[in-house]
Amino acid sequence: MSSYRRAATRRNIVLMIVASTLLLIWVFPLLWAVIVSLKSESEVLAYPPSVFFEPTGKNYADALFGDFSILSSLWTSTIVATATTVLTIVLAVPAAYAFARLRLPAKKTMGFYTLATQMVPPVGLVIPYFLILNKVGMLDSYEGMIIVYLTFSLPFAIWLMVSYMEDIPFEMEEAAFLDKASRLQTLWHIIIPQVRGGIAVTVIFVFLNAWNEFLFAVQLGGNNVRPVTVAMYNFVSVEQTLWAKLSAAALIAMLPVVVIGIIAQKQIVKGLTVGAVKGGGRR
Amino acid sequence: MRREDGAHQGERRFALMLTAPGMLALLLTTTFPLAYLVWSSFQTINLAMPFMDGFAGVQNYVEMWHDSRYWHAMGLTGIYTFSSVALQVVIGMGLALLVMQIPAGQWIFRIVAILPIVLAPVVVGLFWRTLMLAPNFGMVDFLVQWLGFEQINWLGAPTPALISVIAIHTWQWTPFAFLVFLASLASLPGDVYEAARIDRANALQRFWHITLPLLRPAIIIVIIMRVMISLSAFAAIFAATGGGPGTASEILNLYAFKTSFVELNFGYGSALAVSLLIITMAVSGVLFYLRTPRRREAGA
Repeated sequence: MSSYRRAATRRNIVLMIVASTLLLIWVFPLLWAVIVSLKSESEVLAYPPSVFFEPTGKNYADALFGDFSILSSLWTSTIVATATTVLTIVLAVPAAYAFARLRLPAKKTMGFYTLATQMVPPVGLVIPYFLILNKVGMLDSYEGMIIVYLTFSLPFAIWLMVSYMEDIPFEMEEAAFLDKASRLQTLWHIIIPQVRGGIAVTVIFVFLNAWNEFLFAVQLGGNNVRPVTVAMYNFVSVEQTLWAKLSAAALIAMLPVVVIGIIAQKQIVKGLTVGAVKGGGRR
Repeated sequence: MRREDGAHQGERRFALMLTAPGMLALLLTTTFPLAYLVWSSFQTINLAMPFMDGFAGVQNYVEMWHDSRYWHAMGLTGIYTFSSVALQVVIGMGLALLVMQIPAGQWIFRIVAILPIVLAPVVVGLFWRTLMLAPNFGMVDFLVQWLGFEQINWLGAPTPALISVIAIHTWQWTPFAFLVFLASLASLPGDVYEAARIDRANALQRFWHITLPLLRPAIIIVIIMRVMISLSAFAAIFAATGGGPGTASEILNLYAFKTSFVELNFGYGSALAVSLLIITMAVSGVLFYLRTPRRREAGA
């Protein structure tokens, strides 16, 4: 018995070592970015990389208030991501309710259409959008950017919400004989409170994707609308080796999504797996 | 009976009212631009030489057929998609099985796994380009030399550049596969394993005959989602190598992008994007077709 237990302990130790090594591979780039962001510019270029040094907060101060301030980009990202999220939810929740719960003409066709729009590669959209927005003078505008962001957020949000709508027990709405007004009331007072969790998950996903978007932002934005992702990219292409400042700026830019990610970790995993575990719902 | 028909009709009208705004928005924001894309793929649109613009017929597509850079990009798209998805599934599965065995501290893995997923791909590309892979600066470069190997110009030489962009994508998205598999593993019934253990099935047999079939729906969903994301990957490669050196890591996305926005040849860029669109639709169609009958068989 004791030799069996010793083997089990040894096995656990090996498991922990292997797992920790893998863990390190995923943590390291971020951890290293944090360390680099605390170095002075001369310290950064030391090779082999120094581990012991006098940490400085100067890079963070510069990234926020210095010559390379990303504050205005942070504000732009906040506006674009928030507006996209609100608009997406307003459009997606009612549509998902109809898809999941109601008799609807051409339901299959519309469901398939929604799914198909989700598959469209973004590069196939950025080209026509550039030409169209250029023609109507809406390049580098908030309106244009938010419209474009609907292309990836809306199909995704509808499908995610459908899977949450399907989980509501059917007794919740015996709506067969109701008029239009009371149907709306049913949706507002009974259904929406039931799927609050699902809406929260959808909000998180849409906001994260909008915040992190780059391809549309870099080509359809400009001096007026420049989200943080583009600001990060410009940083490297213009200032080749200010890598300590880049690290600080990037970490500030990613702070909102990382915080959301850690707080809402359970909900995000649930959102990721809602299709996988259920095998994609009832369709 | 009549009364019920009326109620159904009311329900249908109400349902249409709810879906109309969303569907209309999708039609205007995706289908209309895509139609515009197809139209412009039959045009000569060159912002550098606007006087040449006009209807071009199938000329862009003929040019594409004879364009070796296009076929090269197509091949790279295939390599990039296949290898990164295969790596994500295999490593993600291995990691999930490993973490399931760990008696305590699973939550650390869940937290760490969420981090790459929520980062912007462009930031991931930039971090790897500078902090990890830059010659005489990056940690990978340092590690390779410290271990006594010859220095490798990870992003500056053709084959290492391709390997690097695949590795970067795999690094960012393996946690996705890992988390999905971990959740699926946790939801598997334990009694099947008990029975198998009594039947003296070894670990490998248990994995092959019990775990894998039970996880099949999750694996297929992960493959579908990852293939789609791989096919539309852009920001991380753009930030890390820009498709280079030369065209060594230029997948179809980047080729279409550069043709349009660097060479300003929007007609040809549109044709390239249309071909990518068709490939993506075809691949997703096949994947969904493969998924459907299996699901019924699994009883879901």
